Amino acid sequence: MRLSRLAPLVAATVAVAALWVAPLFLDPFAVNVLTRSMIYAVLAVTVDLLWGFMGILTFGQAAFFGVGAYAAAMMLGRFGGAPEWIAAALGVAVAASTLLGLAVGWLSFYHRSTALYASVISLVFPIVVTQLIYSGGELTGSSSGLVGFDVLPFEPAGFFRLAAMVLVAVTLAAWVFVRSDAGRALVAVRDNDARCAYLGLNPKRLQILMTTVLAGVAGLAGFMFANASGVVAPENAGFLFGTELVIWVALGGRGTLLGPVVGTVAIDYLAANLSGNLPFLWQLLLGATFVAVIILLPGGLAELASRVVGWLPSRRAEGFAPTLRARASLPASRDYADPLLKVSGLAKSYGSLTVLENIDLEVRPGELVSLVGPNGAGKTTLMRCLSDGTEPIKGEIAIDGSSTAGLTPNRIVALGIGRKFQVASVFESLTVADCLLLARASHDGLSPVGRAQALSLPQAAIDVMRMTGLDRMLASPVHLLSHGQKQALELSMVVALEPRMILLDEPTAGLTKAERTTIGTVLRTLTGELGIAAVLVEHDLDFVRQISSRIVVLHQGRLVLDGTVDEVVNSETVKTIYSGGGHD
Amino acid sequence: MTEAARRLGPQGGADLVLKDVVSGYGAISVVQGVSVNVRPGEIVALLGKNGMGKTTTLKTILGMVALRGGSIAVDGTSVSGLSPSKLTALGLGYAPQEQPLFQDLSIRDNLRLAVASDAKLSQALERVFDYFPFLKDRLKQPAGTLSGGEQKMLILARALMLRPRLLLIDEISEGLQPSVIDKIASVLLNQRATSGVSILIVEQNLDFALKVADRWAVLKLGEIDDEGPAAPDARARVLQHLSV
Amino acid sequence: MLLILDVLTTAAVLFVVAIGLLAIFGVLKIINFAHGAWITVGAYCAVVTTHLGLNPWVALPLAFVVGGALGALSELFIIRPLYRRPLDAILATWGLGIVIGQLITLGFGRDVQLTPNLVSGTVNLLGVDYSAYRLVALAAAIVVGVAFAATIEGTRLGLSARAVIMNETLARGLGIDTARVRLLTFMIGAGLAALSGVLLTPLSSVDPNMGVGWLIGAFMLVMVANGSLPALALACLAFGAAQVLISTFVSPILGSIAIAVLAALVLRINPKGFSRA
Repeated sequence: MRLSRLAPLVAATVAVAALWVAPLFLDPFAVNVLTRSMIYAVLAVTVDLLWGFMGILTFGQAAFFGVGAYAAAMMLGRFGGAPEWIAAALGVAVAASTLLGLAVGWLSFYHRSTALYASVISLVFPIVVTQLIYSGGELTGSSSGLVGFDVLPFEPAGFFRLAAMVLVAVTLAAWVFVRSDAGRALVAVRDNDARCAYLGLNPKRLQILMTTVLAGVAGLAGFMFANASGVVAPENAGFLFGTELVIWVALGGRGTLLGPVVGTVAIDYLAANLSGNLPFLWQLLLGATFVAVIILLPGGLAELASRVVGWLPSRRAEGFAPTLRARASLPASRDYADPLLKVSGLAKSYGSLTVLENIDLEVRPGELVSLVGPNGAGKTTLMRCLSDGTEPIKGEIAIDGSSTAGLTPNRIVALGIGRKFQVASVFESLTVADCLLLARASHDGLSPVGRAQALSLPQAAIDVMRMTGLDRMLASPVHLLSHGQKQALELSMVVALEPRMILLDEPTAGLTKAERTTIGTVLRTLTGELGIAAVLVEHDLDFVRQISSRIVVLHQGRLVLDGTVDEVVNSETVKTIYSGGGHD
Repeated sequence: MTEAARRLGPQGGADLVLKDVVSGYGAISVVQGVSVNVRPGEIVALLGKNGMGKTTTLKTILGMVALRGGSIAVDGTSVSGLSPSKLTALGLGYAPQEQPLFQDLSIRDNLRLAVASDAKLSQALERVFDYFPFLKDRLKQPAGTLSGGEQKMLILARALMLRPRLLLIDEISEGLQPSVIDKIASVLLNQRATSGVSILIVEQNLDFALKVADRWAVLKLGEIDDEGPAAPDARARVLQHLSV
Repeated sequence: MLLILDVLTTAAVLFVVAIGLLAIFGVLKIINFAHGAWITVGAYCAVVTTHLGLNPWVALPLAFVVGGALGALSELFIIRPLYRRPLDAILATWGLGIVIGQLITLGFGRDVQLTPNLVSGTVNLLGVDYSAYRLVALAAAIVVGVAFAATIEGTRLGLSARAVIMNETLARGLGIDTARVRLLTFMIGAGLAALSGVLLTPLSSVDPNMGVGWLIGAFMLVMVANGSLPALALACLAFGAAQVLISTFVSPILGSIAIAVLAALVLRINPKGFSRA
C-alpha cells in the first residue's frame, strides 16, 4: 500500500530529473519546440480532466490559455520584467482566467443543464475572446498580437526546464487527485449526475469548481507560453486551438492523463518537424487518424498501449478496497405520531395531460406505505414530485413541516429523503466501495489527496450488504455486478445516507424470488426497528401484501383508496380496477 | 359476409411459435423463458399483472427488443434478428400501448405510415373505414384531438391497414368504456372470421380477453404461470393469479 | 430601407447556410461539424464549373449531387457507428471536416479562388440601389425553405422523417425503415449545405477553410431552432437583424459575435430556444 502511494512520486522525480538534463542532449530547435509542446500538454491535462473524467466536452480551455497569455503579455509590456512585475503578471494571468472560468462555469452548469449546453458555451467563449482581442487595438495588438514585451530572464533550456517542471507537477497533482476519494466524484458525476444529486451531493457545484480551477491552470500555462515564446497572437485563444487540444487528448487516450500528455507532446513535436515539408499531408493524416480513433478506438493510443502491454497504472487502482466498519447510528428518537411526509392537494400535469389530481397523503416514521395501481396511474410521477421540489406542481409537499417547493433533489436529500430508482441507479465505472463512499460523502466528505482506509457505514447498510453478499465484493467494478446485486447496492447506498424516509420505485423488478425475500426483510427491518418511513411503488402485489403497513391505490391520477392491507385486499374497487374495468 | 370481408378475401393467418424466449433490457431479463403458440386463425390472450413481461414479449416478437434465448418462428421459419420493417412486410400488424400514436400528425398520416407505399393507401383506407366509419370524415384532424376511445380505434385501424396475417395487440382495452370495448372485440372477431388472421393480445381486462380469445396464458415474473382454454371456468382461475 | 434589405438578405443567407444542419440535427439528433466542409465542397463545385467553362448555374445541381453522395458515404461509415455517442459524433465529423479541407487544399491549393458572379450589378428598389445578387440570395432562401417545407409536409420521406423525429420507437414498430430515413436525411442535409456553398461564392471568398466560419453561426442557429424549420426562420431573422444593427451602429466585430452570444443567452434562459415545444 505504501509503495503504490509512493510510486507516482518516484516516477515524477525521475521524470523531472530526466527532463532537467534533456536540454543538454537536444538541439536548440527541439528544445524550443518541446518547451511549447509541454506547455500545451499542461492544457491537455486540464482538457482530459474535464472531458475524459467528467464527460464535459470542452473547446474553451484555449480561451483561458489565451486570456492568461494576453494578461501576462500586456502586464509585462506595460510594466517591464522586474521580478515584482513578473510576479504580478503571473498573479493577474491566473486570476483573470480563474474569474472567467467561474463565470463560464456558472453559465454552463445549472439544475437540469445538459452536457451539450456546456459544450456550446465552451465553443462560444473562445470566439468571443478572439473577437475581443481583434477589437482591442493597441492594447491587444489586434490581429498581429503582442511581441517585444519583457519576459523571465531564462535561456531556452531554462524555459524547457520550467515547462517540464510545471507539466510534471500538474500531471502529478491531477494523477493524485483522480485517484483520491474526491476524484471518484468526478467519474461519478460523468456516469450519473442524477444519482449524485440524490446522494445529497451537488454535481453542478463540482462542475463549476473544476471549470474554475482548471481555467486558472490554463491561465498559468498561458503565462508560461507568453514568457517562453515572447509572442502572443489571437490564434492562441481561438476555437481552432481548442479543437486541436481535444484532438490531442482523444488521440492520446481520454481519461488516462498520461495518454494526453504523451499524445500532445508527440503530435506537436511531430507536427513541427513534418509540417514544414508536407503541411497538408500531415493535417490530412492527423484528421483521418482522429476520425478512425474516435470511431474504432475511443480510448485512444493509451487503450492500444494497454491492450498491447496488458497493464497500465490506471487499471491497477481498481483493486483497492477499504475495510468495512460499522458506525453508531443515530438514535431513533422520533415522535411517531407526527407525520414525516405530508402531501396536500397535490396535482401535476404535463401540458393538457393531467397525471395527478388532488392527492392527500401522510406518512409517519416507521410506516411502510405501498403505492399500487395500473400502469399510467401516476405512481412514478408522484415519487418524482416527492423527491424533486423543482417539479412544477399544484398543492403542497412538506417534510417534517417544511415545504419542499423549489428545492433541488440534493437539498431534499438533506431533509432526510433517500430515493431508490426503478432501474438501479449506481455508478457503472466505479467499484462497490466507491459507490458507498460517495453515498457517505454528504456526511463525511471526501479526501482530495488519498483513499480512506476504512469505510464506515450505518449498521443497516452493512446488513443489506451482508444479506446480498456485497460485503465480500467491495473491490468489484459495478458494471460486473448482476442486476440483483446492483439493486441491492443502490439500496445500500440509500440506506447509507441515513435517511428518515426512503422512496423506492419497484425495488424488486427483475429480481429472483430469493432476492425479493431479502429485500422484503431489509425493508421490514428498516421501518419496523429503525423507525425509517418508506414509500414503495410496486407491481408485485404478493410482495406488497407481505410487507406493507398501509396500501395506497392510485388510479388514473387519483388516490382511490388508502387503507390497511386487509381493507385494500378485500375492496371491490380494487378488484374492478385490476380486472380491467374501473373507468369512470 | 360483410363488405369489409369481401374486400379482404381469405388469406389465412400465420403460425407463431415462441419457444423458451428470454429477452430484456440492459442487465434485466424481463422475459425468462416464455413458450406460447398462436396457431393460424387463433386468438390467444397473454394475461398477467403489470411488469410481468407481457409487453416485452410482444416487442421481442417484433424485433424491437433483442432475443437472448429461445426461438421465435412464424410459419416454421425463424424470425429472430429481423427488423420490424422486414416483419411488417411479412404481414405482421402491431397495436402498441405506450405512446401509440403520432399525436401531432393527422389521422390520415397516422394511417398512411402503416402502409409501405401510397399506391395501396386509398384501398386500405376504405377497408378500415368499413370498420370505423368515423375516421372517414376526420382524416385531417390531428390524432391527439381524438377521444381516448377513438384513439384506440385508430390504433387498431392502423394495425389492420396492411391486411396482417398476424396481429400483436397491446392492452387495447385499457381505460375504455364497455361500448368501445365491445366494438373492438367485434372488429377483432370479424377480422379473424373473414381473413383468418392470427392474433396475440396482451390484456389486463379479463372480461374482454376471455370474450375474444380462444386460449389464454398468465405471465408471472417473466414465465408462463398457468394457461388454458377460454372455458367458462377460466375467469375464476385467472382471477386467482391477478388478485391483490 | 437599406437596413431592412440588409437584415432580410443577411437572414436569408444564414437560413440557407443553416438549413442542411437543421435537417440532420432534427432527424438524426447528431450535430454535424462537417457541415462547414460540405459548404466548402459546394463552393469548389462552382470553381470546377468555372474551370470547365460551364454555365455557373450548373454548379447548383452539381453541388447538391456531390454533397449528397459524400453525405451518403459519411453516414454509412462515420455517423452510423456513433448514434449512441453524440458527443463523439461531433468530434468525428469535425475530423472529417479537417480531412475534406486538406483534400481540397491538395487538389486546388490553399489560395483564394475566384468564381464568376451568378448575377451582377444592382437593382433600384424603392429608391435604393441594392446588390442584385443579395436579392437573388433572398429569393433562393425562400425557394429552398419552401421546397424543404414541401418535402417535409408533402412527401412520404418527409412524413417518415417527421415520424422519426416525433417518436422513433413507434416509427420503427410500424415498420418504417429508420436507417434508410437517416441515410436519406443526411444526404439531403449535406446536399443542401453544398448548395449553400455555391450560393455563398459571390458573397464570401472561396478557400479551403471558408466553411468553418459559417459553421459556428449555423450551429448556434440550429441549437436555438431546436430542429424546427419555422423556429430557424425566426432565429435567422432575429439574430440576423441583431448582427446587422450591431455591426452598423456599434462595431462590426461585436456584430460578428452577436449570433453566438445571443444564442447562448437564449438557450440559457430557455433550453428549447425559439421552438414552441
